[in-house]
Amino acid sequence: MSITRRGLGIGLMGASAAATAGYVYLRDTPWLQAPAALGGFIGGEKKAFLANPRTVAALAHAGFAVDGRQAGSVEMVRAPELLSQNPDFLWPSSSVMVEIARQSKLPLRRAQVILNSPIVVYSWSNVVAGLATAGLVARSPAGYATIDLLAFLKAVLADASWASIGVEALFGKARIAATDPNLSNSGFMFAGLVANLLSGDVATPDSLDKVGGAVETLFRRMGYKSHSSGSQFEDYLAGGPGAYPMSVGYESQLLEWIIADPARWSRVGRSASRPVILYPVPTVYSAHPLLTLKPAADGLVDALMSVPLQTIAWAEHGFRGPLGAPGAGAHPEVAAMVPEHLDAIAPMPEAAVMLALLERLAA
Amino acid sequence: MRRSVLGLAVLLAGTLSLGACDNAATFDFTIVSGSENEILEPVVMAFCAAQKVACHMSYLGSLDIGLGLRPGQEATVDAVWPASSIWIEMFDSGRKVTHLQSISQNPVVLGVRKSKAQSLGWTAGPVTTAEILKAVDGGTLRFLMTSATQSNSGASAYLAMLAAAHGKAVLEAGDLDDAATLDQVARLLHGVERSSGSSGWLAQLYRDGTRKGAVYDAMWNYEAVIKETNDALRRDGHEPLWAVYPAEGVAVADSPLGFVARGRGQEVEDFFIALQAYLLSPEAQAQIAATGRRIALGRAAQAPPEPDWNFDPGRLATAVRMPEPAVIRKALTLYQEALRRPSLTALCLDFSGSMAGEGESALRQAVSFLFSPERAAEVLVQWSPKDRIFVLPFDNEVEAVWRGTGSGDDQARLLGQVLTMSAGGGTDMYGCVRQATALMVPFLARDDFLPAIVIMTDGRSDGDPAGFLQARAADNGRIPIFGITFGDADRSQLETLAGATGARVFDGTKDLTGAFRSARGYN
Repeated sequence: MSITRRGLGIGLMGASAAATAGYVYLRDTPWLQAPAALGGFIGGEKKAFLANPRTVAALAHAGFAVDGRQAGSVEMVRAPELLSQNPDFLWPSSSVMVEIARQSKLPLRRAQVILNSPIVVYSWSNVVAGLATAGLVARSPAGYATIDLLAFLKAVLADASWASIGVEALFGKARIAATDPNLSNSGFMFAGLVANLLSGDVATPDSLDKVGGAVETLFRRMGYKSHSSGSQFEDYLAGGPGAYPMSVGYESQLLEWIIADPARWSRVGRSASRPVILYPVPTVYSAHPLLTLKPAADGLVDALMSVPLQTIAWAEHGFRGPLGAPGAGAHPEVAAMVPEHLDAIAPMPEAAVMLALLERLAA
Repeated sequence: MRRSVLGLAVLLAGTLSLGACDNAATFDFTIVSGSENEILEPVVMAFCAAQKVACHMSYLGSLDIGLGLRPGQEATVDAVWPASSIWIEMFDSGRKVTHLQSISQNPVVLGVRKSKAQSLGWTAGPVTTAEILKAVDGGTLRFLMTSATQSNSGASAYLAMLAAAHGKAVLEAGDLDDAATLDQVARLLHGVERSSGSSGWLAQLYRDGTRKGAVYDAMWNYEAVIKETNDALRRDGHEPLWAVYPAEGVAVADSPLGFVARGRGQEVEDFFIALQAYLLSPEAQAQIAATGRRIALGRAAQAPPEPDWNFDPGRLATAVRMPEPAVIRKALTLYQEALRRPSLTALCLDFSGSMAGEGESALRQAVSFLFSPERAAEVLVQWSPKDRIFVLPFDNEVEAVWRGTGSGDDQARLLGQVLTMSAGGGTDMYGCVRQATALMVPFLARDDFLPAIVIMTDGRSDGDPAGFLQARAADNGRIPIFGITFGDADRSQLETLAGATGARVFDGTKDLTGAFRSARGYN
């Protein structure tokens, strides 16, 4: 396409007008000033999101330079050695932590869920095929897989063999692995989900009396439990179906892994056993509420809720928005494999119930 | 994201090395690893050389790597690469190790001499632990296996045996009180023909045995080490080991590489991150896969199957889930104190004149350690009441013969007796070995014990090893003769005895107690 002289002139004029307007607009916006440095604690699964150069730039544009140090969700709202470091904000991985923070008498200013990721069970295509024949796994019309987690847990509790639940490829007893609930949030959330499922409703102090023993048995039968959701996911991928037939994690983990190296995902897609996300029905959301403790951090809530940052969170790291909806611009492979809406979401048991449960599950 | 951060680190490390204009290394970097990784040393060293970093790899048993990570221990290495992360979990309670990532996955399998496997009918399909037990009970199968308390492959095989015997997916503490389970595992462990503190050395023992005609039936080891052994056996024209994957599940070692921060600065940590990223890169992973190690999804293709010995790293192997660290600890103590095949040990202790002074006092310390149950238990080499011990102090002749079991009372008495000895006279270790052998032979007839003679000496002995070995009756050949050197000991004499009997020599010049401890890991 050729550009006429007249067209060029108009173009230049337009550009100059835009530049003037832009300056008038920008001199009042924060990014011409030095960004405000904020320090706080974050769950490890959000480290990559905060380290992403596009996230850093978008936050700087909103006027913030964020230093997020990794800490466990439970410890960051309770541990004196962390709180004495005077954080500006806390960004744990479960909304139960807001309640626990209030009980810890933290000076909360704003508490807003920024991101969400459902708790899922990671399995493998060859294992899933077997579970489907036993009716434990179903494919939704949209193509994603759901698991009847209660039925599976009952099979584990009953010492059922893999063969008896359709998985001929694996020898021995059915099992599932989660992280240590006292140290890591995905294990913590899974403990809440298990207590809910066995109680038949959101677990209460009364129902915990009845089902607590079974939850303990399930966690004891996991054997060694990882201390971090991140290492658990890597062990799952490294160990394969023989070592990690069923592993609890966040939906965002596989999505982030796929987006990080789509070519690798295509290679994996051709192998005999591929990672599969199983959505428990119902499941619980690992919400990521930002808790501000200092006035300077209040604006960080709005910045993280902005469209550019929400888009990076979904398109590059697999985190859903505050209401659980996937964002725009995902990798096509990812868009095809995740449900648009999760209809069956159970609330986590209240903080007192979770703390009592943690005590029971302490090794 | 993590990938691109690591990529950046590789780039950065590359830039650093380009900046260096001479060949001098920028800094040292030490890695302590399990012996099974010796085959990967060239892969590591090539990267270090390209980065102009002077890397040093040393090899220790998993227990020793773990012990070095205990709180209060000063870190002496920059990176650890044990066979399995359980050893880090059990000992690194202060969380010194960071950036831990699995480099490969290694099932621990039973490699059975192929003709033996065929005669047992094991080449036709899956083999259960019950069938292995039947073969051991019937006296048709003996195997080599590293000590469960000193080395990961032995621990893995043992924990898998326990889980299989109990018929559960995961061992819990209470299962270790079940008499039927313990009986079954003790019977399985009766199949141990030789033990060691190192998986790499065990494989060497198998190969040397085959070369010398002392043919062993089988060996528990990593799938990849069995491949390495089979490659060597084929080159020598010997039959391979058939890989048996017990149907109840195999223990899988995850070969984690982790960084040990000891205040050496960001540069060293950045180098570690770059090294780890390199080892996980498709290029290095392909090299690692070629050694028979299993590679995580999407990193590289697995090694091609070798059906002539049942090897196929692409095939699913049901893994035994590792128990909680507290359960593993209890299981290991149980192994050492009750379930392992009892030791029949003769200690030939040099009290010749040259040992006077420093040597004598080091020997007393070493023996005090060996016969102090609580100290030996800290590093899991304690005796059990089922063990039979002979202590023979010697100079130019055997000065005394003291005998006992591994009971607490007997250990205290043996220690008291050794402490009465003082140095003097010449040196004849062969006389001691002859007498020890005569004492041990009656016990061997019962086939209950794992025998070993351990000679500790500081000098040149009268007599010569070749003549001694020739005169040794053929039926005594199965007692391995280990050596522990001290002072200016003539290592060659001990090496000849150890080499001829499938044993090894430990260097006690710097740490005599440590050498005795290592030797115990082989018996």
